[in-house]
Amino acid sequence: MTTKVSAAINIPQFFQHLVDGVKVTKTGGRTVGECLDELIERFPQLEAHLFSGDGKLHGYLDVFINGESAYPEELSKPVADGDELHIINIIVGG
Amino acid sequence: MAINSGKFLRVNLSTGQTMTESVPHQVAIDFIGGRGYGIKYLYQELDANVDPLGEDNKLIILNGPLAGTSTQATSRWMVITKSPLTGSFARSVGGADFGAWLKFVGYEFIIIEGKADRPVYLHLSREGCQIHDAGDLWGKDTKETQKTLKDEHGGNTRMVCIGPAGEKLVRYAAIVSDRRTAGRCGTGAVMGSKNLKAIAATATRTLELFDETAYAQLSKQQATLIMENKGFQNHREWGTTRTQNITNNLGIYPVLNFRYGQQVGHEKITGEEYRRLRTGEFGCYSCPARCGKAHRVETGSYSGAYSEGPEYETIWAFTGSVDSTSIEATVAADELCDDLGLDTISAGACIGFAYELYEKGILTKADTDGLELKYGNHAAMVTLVKKIALREGIGDLLAEGTMRAAASIGKGSEVCAIHVKGLELPAYEPRGSKTQGFNYATASIGASHCFGYSGQDVFGAVVPRPSDRFAEEENADLVIYNQNGTAWKETGINCTFSAGWGWVDSLFGKLLTAARGIDQFSDNDYLWKVGERILNLERAFNVREGFGRKEDTLPQRMLTEPLHTREAPGEGQIVRNQDKFLDNYYWLRGWTKAGFPSPEKLKELGLDFVLNDMNVEQ
Repeated sequence: MTTKVSAAINIPQFFQHLVDGVKVTKTGGRTVGECLDELIERFPQLEAHLFSGDGKLHGYLDVFINGESAYPEELSKPVADGDELHIINIIVGG
Repeated sequence: MAINSGKFLRVNLSTGQTMTESVPHQVAIDFIGGRGYGIKYLYQELDANVDPLGEDNKLIILNGPLAGTSTQATSRWMVITKSPLTGSFARSVGGADFGAWLKFVGYEFIIIEGKADRPVYLHLSREGCQIHDAGDLWGKDTKETQKTLKDEHGGNTRMVCIGPAGEKLVRYAAIVSDRRTAGRCGTGAVMGSKNLKAIAATATRTLELFDETAYAQLSKQQATLIMENKGFQNHREWGTTRTQNITNNLGIYPVLNFRYGQQVGHEKITGEEYRRLRTGEFGCYSCPARCGKAHRVETGSYSGAYSEGPEYETIWAFTGSVDSTSIEATVAADELCDDLGLDTISAGACIGFAYELYEKGILTKADTDGLELKYGNHAAMVTLVKKIALREGIGDLLAEGTMRAAASIGKGSEVCAIHVKGLELPAYEPRGSKTQGFNYATASIGASHCFGYSGQDVFGAVVPRPSDRFAEEENADLVIYNQNGTAWKETGINCTFSAGWGWVDSLFGKLLTAARGIDQFSDNDYLWKVGERILNLERAFNVREGFGRKEDTLPQRMLTEPLHTREAPGEGQIVRNQDKFLDNYYWLRGWTKAGFPSPEKLKELGLDFVLNDMNVEQ
């Protein structure tokens, strides 16, 4: 039997208007992919904003775990109890 | 003894004298290069209150310590001078190859003094510098100028030049290399004021590095990190042509001269829409990103327009400012700006200013040479770009920038002049991204997004910590972090985008040490200290010019008028606590309440030589 973890997904400011201003949500996922699946379960409207048609995270998004990029494992990257996840937009400036 | 610690060229255009000099070793340690050398020499060589467009101003063009080497995204060039737009310190950064070529001819930088008695250009080679007559080049656009000089001096020649806008002293004229520009702050006008049309460098690749073996190993590590970085991959794919997708959704895409934060019809100007017109890519020396995305218009009234851009800021400048969603018009306007040598940001902002005055009846057709400056009229916008560059009709007024134009027009137009210290605001609305906004307010050069870009507000960056983009004085630490970080990275004149490609923190310092032989550079804490030193010396330059707290302000509109964001969040936002922000920012910086670097801070940073100049009433 595996124990569910409890991590926090910080919803970025550029998505908060899509989720009624929610800034942080708890998740029990053990990988980044599972965490994002839970997020979408709660907020289905985020799916198209997170994933492209082939099920991959959009090329311009990255997930950071405790300040470190999850790339290239990305969706399979393990998440531990107490981890802080941030979704960031990796376009840089203009 | 360090190798490659810097030779530089001094050219006096009044006397025709040229001289090669060396950077003292201690200056190399204290300032590293690039922006550090720029402010060090500008500060010590310029008297206070010189006319930016007069003979006494100096124009410094620099590369970085790693320019021309095998490392990637480290070969840009920079211009440092006193700005004719702001009267303050100016720094502007350009791309393409010239930074590398300046290194190949043996120089870290050039200091240009005086004023030629006729149009001239400089030709640099390993054999030295020659001053040539440029009478035949004067009046030519940047494309023609560069082609002529390449034909004259051969394929191993790269150059910077000005277009007609610089010749006519448009206060936001750019210096252009290939199709890349050092756009901001009016550096092209300073070059024009010296009757200097171009600087061409002819050389084959040659370099001296302190430890070539170590450098080569580090360079390989850099390449690996960059190629595996998702931010790099995204940048290679899109450049900055998608940023408006985000800023419109955040409600921080300035529209109607900074009255709205989201454009109606923004789905027509997305990166994906620009991609339909993309015909190619181009980039800077030794950079695999090739982030310049070229676009060509095939049909309609702009058919034939071709631009190696526009990138995000230019997309905004020629859409949001005039409430147009014509991608084709942005390509045409961008091409004109590059040809004529204009900063696209200030050009678009000045045009947006004119459109609002027209809407309010402050300007009429009698003032606009018959042009109807109604929002959405992109044809008039494109016409205005040319008029500004050539100072024709109303273009002559707008060529002065919004601050001076408003002072000339009066009638309440001042509230429509959206600038900080005279430099027009770029494409991020301060009321919806306040860390970015307060960076504008406090930047040494006026409203520059690149001076201390707030990735925290705009992209959700988590380093050093996430931001609340509507918070004010609470984010003073982030503004300082972003500004100081930019300053030390610009000692190398590294591409600012490459800061997100995962190599800078781990490798930049080590590369500097391998290139220069100066051990301190491998210590990131030391690099941060140099960044702070640069910022404080720039601030001291501005204080000496009479700048202080009262100039550290966002435009009145941001302080008094609520932002409208349509469907995006942030409706009604206003900047309420600028004074509290400044108190906190100055305190964290070790500055006085008046915004002057304190004696203790200057001594801590080894800037004792500045102390006497700060002897002003505080």
